[in-house]
Amino acid sequence: MWKYSDVLMDHFMNPRNVGSLPSPDGHSEVGSPQCGDAMYLDIDIDDQGRISEIAFKTFGCAGAIASASALTEMAKGLPVEDALKIKNSQIAEFLGGMPPEKFHCSVMGHQALKTAVEDFRSKCAEIGKILEEEGIPAALIRPGRVYISSPDDLEKTKKVLSDRIERAISVKVK
Amino acid sequence: MMDTIYLDNAATTRVAPEVVEAMMPYFTEEFGNPSSFHTFGSSQMEAVETARGQVARLLGARAEEIFFTSGGTESDNQALRGAVQIDPTRKGIVTSAIEHPAILETARLLEKKGCSLGIAEVNSNGELDLDSLKKLVDQQTAIVSIMAANNETGVIMPLEKISEIAKEEGALFHTDAVQMVGKSPVDVHALGIDLLSLSAHKLHGPKGCGAIYIRRGIDLPPLITGGHQERGVRSGTYNVPGIVGLGKAADLALTHLTDTVVEERKLRELFEQQVKERCPGAMIVAEGAAMRLPGTVTVIFRGIESEAVLTLLDMHGIYASSGSACSTGSKDPSHVLYAMGIDYTLANSALRFSLSRYTSETEIESVVSVLETIVERLRRISPYSE
Repeated sequence: MWKYSDVLMDHFMNPRNVGSLPSPDGHSEVGSPQCGDAMYLDIDIDDQGRISEIAFKTFGCAGAIASASALTEMAKGLPVEDALKIKNSQIAEFLGGMPPEKFHCSVMGHQALKTAVEDFRSKCAEIGKILEEEGIPAALIRPGRVYISSPDDLEKTKKVLSDRIERAISVKVK
Repeated sequence: MMDTIYLDNAATTRVAPEVVEAMMPYFTEEFGNPSSFHTFGSSQMEAVETARGQVARLLGARAEEIFFTSGGTESDNQALRGAVQIDPTRKGIVTSAIEHPAILETARLLEKKGCSLGIAEVNSNGELDLDSLKKLVDQQTAIVSIMAANNETGVIMPLEKISEIAKEEGALFHTDAVQMVGKSPVDVHALGIDLLSLSAHKLHGPKGCGAIYIRRGIDLPPLITGGHQERGVRSGTYNVPGIVGLGKAADLALTHLTDTVVEERKLRELFEQQVKERCPGAMIVAEGAAMRLPGTVTVIFRGIESEAVLTLLDMHGIYASSGSACSTGSKDPSHVLYAMGIDYTLANSALRFSLSRYTSETEIESVVSVLETIVERLRRISPYSE
């Protein structure tokens, strides 16, 4: 048995933020070739650019599960930019230390978050492109919702947008 | 203290109380050196010879064909390193992809030193592919070394047929029988075995002691040179307590052999049936193999990583093992499961449970109940469980 701290064992036994989000702003599926682990991560981003909801599923050892749980706890509520700066050493510290052999287990969480943010950004970019093509000035873009500044025909714009966006990124637009 | 359940008997076994009792005097009053001239020491050679007879009886061998070593790894090393020195025209080693590292690593090292190396394949049930073996053995083969039973799957190899293949080309046949001896009958003469490795601690004996069986007439060079002990085949002062312990363990194993074969198998089958029924995604490795050890089974719990299961089992005082990359600190999971064509993720979901004659039905039932909750809990977290 590895020497695991009480905090780490608690996150392994009672992982926080387990599951998936209904229609996430960003989703990722990553694997660690080093030990065969895998992780799914969902994030929602609020209007201020902070991670408002986060959920994960992990195939991995106690260290991998606890690291994923810790990362979600640390990232929740943070602006995306800050969440991406969370280092493996900070995850280890959050968990009250980790055996050095297990350090690589925490790398996967970071990769999952980065990929989920990339997914979120590419979805936003795609919506932005569509809006530009339609000549609609947008105030704020999220994969699930778009704030538009004074459209002439609200109902018509909504329909065009949801048709095109849904087709493009398969996300329901409210 | 919490009650513990030990299901890792393929790794090592508890020393039988009778064995401890038999060994004790040789740590205390009977501390002499059997090689000494004086009667105090030399009288202890009798204890060594008694043990030799006990080991020989378990194997159907003659006493003079048994040589004591430090354990399975040393016996394996002597078999391979010795065999390639006997005849300068025979430098080939043929073995299988699922051998213990004591064989595989030694064979690879000898390959670097100029020996040829052939590695036979196994099928998806972990059974040796005799055709692939046959193609590898020729007139340059010094030794064919195939384990008697695999430590992860429990699959028993067709030793008699392997012996015939080796004999046809005039090669020696060695078997690493560390997992088999004491668990399933072995008759070295009937099976045509030339060399056999065994280890005391796998059959309720002490660690640090084992033996190599060398068929009469084979002049196997020593691995360890020095004094004249063991007729020069294995030098070094006799490990009298260890040897006495191995002898007693062999004697007990023979007494219990029929029961072991029947009772352990019954419990293992109960375990397999219960696990499949109560743990979603559970799959028995090598389930379709023709012959298996009574008490060793590897289970794949699809969708969950084995070290996570081991960690939770450990918290319940249940001890099993896994060949997962993560728990061993190595880069790759089990080479045995890989050779059987089991993919990387599934191999990382594999756990081995190995029983002994001390395992009870109550223990099996408790383990299955705990496993059921663990599997349920981990599948909830897993991305692969749908």
